[in-house]
Amino acid sequence: MALIYLSPQWFVGYDILLEGIFAVITAAVAFLAWQIYRKTRERQVGLLSGAFLLIALSYIAQTVFNGFMIIEATENIPLLQKAAEIMFFKTLGMYLQILFMLLGLAVLFFMTCKSHNKRLLWFLLAITLLPFIFIPNILTIFYLLTTIYLGFILWYFIDNYRQNRQWKTLLIALAFLFLFIAKAHFLIAVNHQFFYVLGHILELVAYCLILANFLLVLRK
Amino acid sequence: MMRKRERSEIIHDVLSAINAKGEAKPTHILYKSNLSTKMLNEYLGILIGKGFISEKTDKKGKKLYRLEEQGFNYLKDFSVIKSFMESYGLE
Repeated sequence: MALIYLSPQWFVGYDILLEGIFAVITAAVAFLAWQIYRKTRERQVGLLSGAFLLIALSYIAQTVFNGFMIIEATENIPLLQKAAEIMFFKTLGMYLQILFMLLGLAVLFFMTCKSHNKRLLWFLLAITLLPFIFIPNILTIFYLLTTIYLGFILWYFIDNYRQNRQWKTLLIALAFLFLFIAKAHFLIAVNHQFFYVLGHILELVAYCLILANFLLVLRK
Repeated sequence: MMRKRERSEIIHDVLSAINAKGEAKPTHILYKSNLSTKMLNEYLGILIGKGFISEKTDKKGKKLYRLEEQGFNYLKDFSVIKSFMESYGLE
């Protein structure tokens, strides 16, 4: 668990705020996709809605448990008890975040496959359990899997942009490019605290692009 | 060369053709939506399955199609639906 304290001291609080913003944006996309699914009954739209909902839950878990951790840190209780409780919230939040994020990306990847094969979906969901088998390297495996998923999802959105050259398709392709870089850089990072901040900034850019697309769609 | 229509656009064209008449015959829908008979039958089957339209038979035994609430909702929000589906390559 050496990698548990990733955030630099000065960034604590800002990261919770950013994760809250990511949760709101992804939940909004999930809601819009759900509304469209209800009207179209298109399976792919339903999958997209589910994927964004799971990603939103991942950010909510991160925000809530990081918030608990800060509250715990400011409480007037014995130091040893405080350390144990902080560790508990941080670990629980991290596990939930990893679980929901990987489930969300697996569903999103399945959507991009345009497959009706349920075995593929079950296989992808089973892969989500990998980080929990290799607990000592949980973050490394998590970032490795998210990078692979995002790489393939990015490929799909770039293809979508090449077939349909519009601002809205470009925004989504760029958003997933930033998300891919935000996760991929972690694997080669030496200074994890610096890259933790950089990752959040890249994610902020990505979600701003998704939000811009969201507003563009609703403006129609 | 004409651009290939997306699936959502074909559904929109079929629903619009039915909506314009209130109750439409297959020949009218065929003419307005510019589809082959085989394609039209496929789309009509899909739209009935989704609850967008319903089918009935007139006194002469000819089929008639009319829009259901789900179909009206689709037409009303078509621009948002199309834009969202294009953004994420969901066609």
